[in-house]
Amino acid sequence: MVEGVFVKLPSFPFLNPAVSPSFPNCRLGFRRFSASLSAVVKEGSVSLGHSTRPDFPILHQEVNGSKLVYLDNAATSQKPTAVLKALQNYYETYNSNVHRGIHYLSAKATDEYELARKKVAAFINASDSTEIVFTRNATEAINLVAYSWGLSNLRAGSEIILSIAEHHSAIVPWQTIAQKTGAILRFVSLDENEVPDVEELRGMISERTELVVVHHVSNVLGSVLPIENIVIWAHAVGAKVLVDACQSVPHMVVDVQGLDADFLVASSHKMCGPTGVGFLFGKSNLLLDMPPFLGGGEMISEVFLDHSTYAEPPSRFEAGTPAIGEAIGLGAAIDYLSGIGMQKIHDYEMELANYLYEKLCSVPNIRIYGPKPSDNIHRAALCSFNVENIHPTDLATFLDQQHGVAIRSGHHCAQPLHRHLGVNASARASLHFYNTREDVDEFIRSLDDTVSFFNSFK
Amino acid sequence: MEQLPPKLQEIIKLFQSVEEPKAKYEQLMFYGKNLNPLDTQFKTRENKVEGCVSQVWVRAYLDQDKNVFYQADSDSVLTKGLAALLVNGLSGRPVQEVLRISPDFAVLLGLQQSLTPSRNNGFLNMLKLMQRKALELLIEAEKGDGSSGNGQIANDNSEKPVENSTLDSKVDEDSGVGFSSSKNGEDSSSGLGSRGTRIKKKLEKELSPIELEVEDVSYQHAGHAGVRGSDGETHFNVRIVSKEFEGKSLVKRHRLIYGLLDEELQTGLHALSIVAKTPSEVEAK
Repeated sequence: MVEGVFVKLPSFPFLNPAVSPSFPNCRLGFRRFSASLSAVVKEGSVSLGHSTRPDFPILHQEVNGSKLVYLDNAATSQKPTAVLKALQNYYETYNSNVHRGIHYLSAKATDEYELARKKVAAFINASDSTEIVFTRNATEAINLVAYSWGLSNLRAGSEIILSIAEHHSAIVPWQTIAQKTGAILRFVSLDENEVPDVEELRGMISERTELVVVHHVSNVLGSVLPIENIVIWAHAVGAKVLVDACQSVPHMVVDVQGLDADFLVASSHKMCGPTGVGFLFGKSNLLLDMPPFLGGGEMISEVFLDHSTYAEPPSRFEAGTPAIGEAIGLGAAIDYLSGIGMQKIHDYEMELANYLYEKLCSVPNIRIYGPKPSDNIHRAALCSFNVENIHPTDLATFLDQQHGVAIRSGHHCAQPLHRHLGVNASARASLHFYNTREDVDEFIRSLDDTVSFFNSFK
Repeated sequence: MEQLPPKLQEIIKLFQSVEEPKAKYEQLMFYGKNLNPLDTQFKTRENKVEGCVSQVWVRAYLDQDKNVFYQADSDSVLTKGLAALLVNGLSGRPVQEVLRISPDFAVLLGLQQSLTPSRNNGFLNMLKLMQRKALELLIEAEKGDGSSGNGQIANDNSEKPVENSTLDSKVDEDSGVGFSSSKNGEDSSSGLGSRGTRIKKKLEKELSPIELEVEDVSYQHAGHAGVRGSDGETHFNVRIVSKEFEGKSLVKRHRLIYGLLDEELQTGLHALSIVAKTPSEVEAK
């Protein structure tokens, strides 16, 4: 692990909240921060990006005549050979249905599946593997909480607090539940740093609050929320907290006991695991009281014609044959990530995050959304941005076609956030530990070329 | 290709002559730049092409000869270029001609390589919206005329453009609305286009059948390789009863038919499904 030395910075003047940030919005002072940090980190061994790249076969290809530069990791991550092998091995040697069979293959499949559950539990420091429910993805996990916990715990006048920067999957299910129960949704806006206003959130929490739904790391703003504090404030009024950890679990150490979160969700495909599986962490006492979400096989105890009794958690919430191979693949992904160490991954990505932000600032007329990095504001290794007078889709198309650079353009499943920012869409480059500084350099070079091309046409 | 509006054919030829993707972009953006602006009052929900990548609006109106004209706009330069391409290619043409356009022509532009799949979908959705609007305008106009005889609409695919007012953004693999032109006195009840009619006439002339059915089933095959780059009349079912088949084996009968339709096969007819019988074989049943 590379040691970082913290450089004391001049404090940044905050933007005048009355003036909405416009083009361009990068501060010169920031460059000094990144330069010092990277000067320290650079010496020594090969970077994490370079050392792990060989593990990801998909990265070594050309698209449209250029080397692929994959910068869409917030949408989905790539999978290392170890995960691919685990999947193949499962289907080749011991594929069998779990929990019900007597025979050898089925016993092995069950063992590996349950071992994967234990791995997830250990990865996020849950106290027991029965607190991990395998779902199809984080979206399904949130729906599970909404329909199961929400319908039985919310009533007319109950308040659910969210931020306007939440992903649609963390908003839409609650809209449905609010309609059904008469609960009220309240939204926290952004502060002058373009981060959800934590003070406003604190102020909104009252005895009417039953649930707080927040992201850990924003997939658009790159900001990190102080979950421990939010949980403390929520618990003080008896409210629960659901943490959307899709952008945090793959990139940093997440400790559900340390956070004291009540519910936490994540998707496998964003953390180097296969698609088709995700998980819900729920505290034991909460899961025990929750009625089933989907009904069917596996989640029952006894079935009669007119009624059934249900299994204990987590089985109660896992109806039907699960994505067995995929869960095992997720276990392999966790092994791979743990082998590197999440702290090491986080430190490397912080360096990349700062480098990306600094380099993007050099693009004329660019507007990057979210907070400016500083010693007390850390950004994730992603930047959503717009370049004045150029549609982000045009940018993304040209970057792909002419340079093989893969970024995303759109609202990134955060329409309310984009509406607040006053734009229809943004472009987004998002990195993972197998990206390198050279990837960032290539991205910026290509972006400069792209911007020149479109500007020359005006 | 010959079925496409003349301006569109020109545009296609132009794009085919430009090989380098970057230059195609420039051409596209040039079209977009010269597009007439669309008044804000027309940027309505009904005029919006669905899809989340960029905003596109299309407005359509008819002149007194019932030719359809279009205006469009987009906040994305490349999408505006695509919209301009369609506006230029389709404006001023009779509704029937616009409706006959199969989205397959997009491949001819060679832009598919240069454009992301979702943008391509936007292109297809734009075209579909333009076709739907043209049809709706025509129906409105003809209601106003009080005439229902002209313009018999034969829908040979499952899409119902009039009733379904919500436009979904997934790519509809069906080719454009099949339309029979009753003006030329062709067989409007069977819904055959020009190729179908040619096939029928040829077989009638050469084989003097006592029974002949020609059915255009191209829509069933829309989307696979054989159909791309054609005008949509690619697959037919033929049932023919003729004395000419007497004494000929099944293979010889099929060869005979293929021989008569050789020109069609060279120009885009992809497959025939043939039932060829003699009168005695039919009576025997």
